[in-house]
Amino acid sequence: MTAVAEPATNEKQAGRARQGARLGEWLVLYALSILGAILISALLVTATGGDWQSVVTALLDGSMRNPGRWGETLGVAAPLLLVALGTVISSRAGLVNIGQEGQLAIGAAFATYFGFLIGGPGPLNLFVLLVFGAVGGALWAGIAALLRFWRGVPEVLSTLLLVAVAGQAVAYGLRWQRLLLAPEASRGNRNQVSEQLGTDRRLPEQVIFGNSFPISVYLAVGVALIVAFLLARSIWGFRLKMLGRNPRAAQHSGVSQKRYGSTALMLGGAFAGLAGAAMLAGGGFAFGNYQLVPGFSANIGWTGLLVALVARERALVCIPVALVFASLRTGSGFVASTGVEGRITDVIQGLLVLALLVPPAVMFVRDRRRARAATTART
Amino acid sequence: MTDNEQWLTGADEWAFSRAPLVELRGISKRFGAVVACDDVDLSLYPGQIHGVLGENGAGKSTLMKILIGLVLPDSGTISIDGVACTIHDPLDAAAHGIGMVHQHLSLVGPLTVWENVALGDAGKLDSDEVRNRIGELGEEYGLVIDPDARVADLTAGLRQRVEIIKCLRRNPKVLIFDEPTSVLTPDESQLLFKSLRTMVASEGKSVVLVSHKLDEVLSTTDDITIMRQGRVVDQMDTAETTAPELARSMVGREVSLRAERAALGHIELDIRAEVAPEPTVVTEPMLTITNANASGPDGQRLLDNLTLDVHSGEIVGMTGVEGNGQRALTDLLSSLLPLDSGTVTVNGEPVSSSSPGAMSRAGIGVIPEDRHDSGVVLEMTVAENLVLVDPQRVAQHGIIDHKALNRFAEKMIRDFGIQCSGPHAPLWSLSGGNQQRVVLARELADHPKVLVAAQPTRGLDVGAIEYMTDRIREAAAAGVAVLLISSELEEILDLADRIVVMSGRRIVGEMPRLGVDLEYLGLLMGGANV
Repeated sequence: MTAVAEPATNEKQAGRARQGARLGEWLVLYALSILGAILISALLVTATGGDWQSVVTALLDGSMRNPGRWGETLGVAAPLLLVALGTVISSRAGLVNIGQEGQLAIGAAFATYFGFLIGGPGPLNLFVLLVFGAVGGALWAGIAALLRFWRGVPEVLSTLLLVAVAGQAVAYGLRWQRLLLAPEASRGNRNQVSEQLGTDRRLPEQVIFGNSFPISVYLAVGVALIVAFLLARSIWGFRLKMLGRNPRAAQHSGVSQKRYGSTALMLGGAFAGLAGAAMLAGGGFAFGNYQLVPGFSANIGWTGLLVALVARERALVCIPVALVFASLRTGSGFVASTGVEGRITDVIQGLLVLALLVPPAVMFVRDRRRARAATTART
Repeated sequence: MTDNEQWLTGADEWAFSRAPLVELRGISKRFGAVVACDDVDLSLYPGQIHGVLGENGAGKSTLMKILIGLVLPDSGTISIDGVACTIHDPLDAAAHGIGMVHQHLSLVGPLTVWENVALGDAGKLDSDEVRNRIGELGEEYGLVIDPDARVADLTAGLRQRVEIIKCLRRNPKVLIFDEPTSVLTPDESQLLFKSLRTMVASEGKSVVLVSHKLDEVLSTTDDITIMRQGRVVDQMDTAETTAPELARSMVGREVSLRAERAALGHIELDIRAEVAPEPTVVTEPMLTITNANASGPDGQRLLDNLTLDVHSGEIVGMTGVEGNGQRALTDLLSSLLPLDSGTVTVNGEPVSSSSPGAMSRAGIGVIPEDRHDSGVVLEMTVAENLVLVDPQRVAQHGIIDHKALNRFAEKMIRDFGIQCSGPHAPLWSLSGGNQQRVVLARELADHPKVLVAAQPTRGLDVGAIEYMTDRIREAAAAGVAVLLISSELEEILDLADRIVVMSGRRIVGEMPRLGVDLEYLGLLMGGANV
């Protein structure tokens, strides 16, 4: 090796060592905070008169071990993942969209309305349904985008408030037969329910080892791969990132905040709406039995937002995180049978989210402190 | 600023009391791996103006922050009037009679002068008492100001006056000035130095002048401490030193280039006496701004009927006191400020001021005043920052080719001597000078027709300044129309072919550099109608 090349190699090794140390720091932080969350959860269960071991068993049984359960979990994970991916796109552009729950509901309503309005043969109708789901979500988020870029209304507020509006709007639609309500003949004694999708208009199901799940699972994973690729490699993704990190530099470089920002926000809505349509057409499981009912969105929008939050803007990381959150959801059904209040899993879920968010926060603060120390030293 | 007048050394009556007012011994402060102050000794005597000279990053600011309690030293002792003490915070410092006039003034714009002066007082507010005191202090030190004027309506020089009065009202023994002339016209600077002299001569106060400009330190101070890389490298009597000697000791090597000397705030007489080169053939201007008017979100005027043109191969130096619309002009040429009326044309083609990126597409490269504001994205890598404006150059069908990106980045890193661990280093990990090189590399990579450089050397050390000015000259030599916006007159005088003066958000005057009349220039900068 020549003398010239040596410093470079040393530097590389030093860099690798630094990276190794950093990775170690991350792992320790994650291990500590997750351990903390589990400990507190166990304490909580014990304090409320339960037995934490049976809760863990129930969670595992409900989400994976019992027959057919992991198929169920996958079915829940798919819409969570879709919602999370949309959120990743909006936040990449520096926009905080927290209205997925409403965008999802509107998407499902659009899918129902236009699906039955347009009709057509089964597979084509299914396609129409999914497309209009996405369109509905996008339009709902578009209201927030319009307010943001036309009048400067913070999207955090508008998206959140539109969740409440969306819930009311869907409930209203479900009261009128010309909108969403099913004809009297097919709704029996239930009011506020849409017509059920015919069997040929549902998402096909895949059955593996007695576990069945809708093919929206594949759709969601495929979309995750595409989104990850586009964000990392395309000029579009590059510009979104620029916009999110430094809007003024982006504007100087020719990135229109209006155009890219509203696209990102509306894509976030479109993905939530698509998730809603997929739940409608693919969810005999936890979701509404192929028909729209009040409260159809069932917190999938909120949980999807949490998934994106925990995955911190990384599309591929959303996949495992969505699985974890879906498992907590399907597992929680079984917890009730242990005599522990079923909602304890909500608390566990909350603690887990906190646990997963603590390490990045700690690292952020530490990095900033180091950076600040370095810059203060320089001035 | 250049003449060394006699009144500047009139501190003899205090020369006998050689007991230091403030004494720093062995002060060290480190931030992580960086040593900001390394075993620094400093003595301040009553009745003297003490200059602290050094490049950016030499540790001057940290040392002053220690003195007023904003930073606690790791080791070392501070004694005031011979009594050792610890200064925990600025209130402590004030109690010990130490006050500081900061580089960035901390006044409240909508409040009046006297309200600002009284700000931070405890107990019942006696407005007449405060007003009277402002009058007295103004008389005493030649800092006359109307106590009922709104601070927002004052010029930068007058605001600094308010800040000084605010300090003086507490009757401090030691007054620190951190780069006070950066917001002042040459005339205002002279006035300020005169009042400094009054303070030390009549009352035995001690004044510390922190600066990186040789001339003002030479003409104003009694003795000088020179810092380099956190250490005190030299302490000397001002009367016994010369500009070249100071420069050598500040930079650590012989300073010969004119650019460097200009960077150190030292104007050489021969610049002004140079013979004019044959004027080049007059061409159509490359950049033309005509009757530009713009306003901010609150309706305040940002540009007032500004008209300006820059020709190919010409460096137009725009001087003026900061805050007179220079930033708005840079914003306009960065597509960040839409015009209310007026036009911008490049090479005869009109350019929209409201379409994002239009200026850049039309061939205007910009090195912004605050690179963190619109020049770079700190969280992105060096490579990414090099293609912010034009990612297409390394992409096919909208997909970025990372190999091409790396090749391009490596070439730029080599060509522009950017010091970093590689194309993937996050931009925040680079030093200020190297971040500035990234901006320069990117904006020059596209072979711009126009280059706008706003305060391009601010915050850089001497080596980096020399590099930057060389590149600006090269760009002009290659036919780029260069607009250099700077508040450092020395830099303008060194680089520009033509000087325009900005005041009150418009161009108020213009002159060729050769045969420049500095007095007239100063008057224009001050907004005088001439």
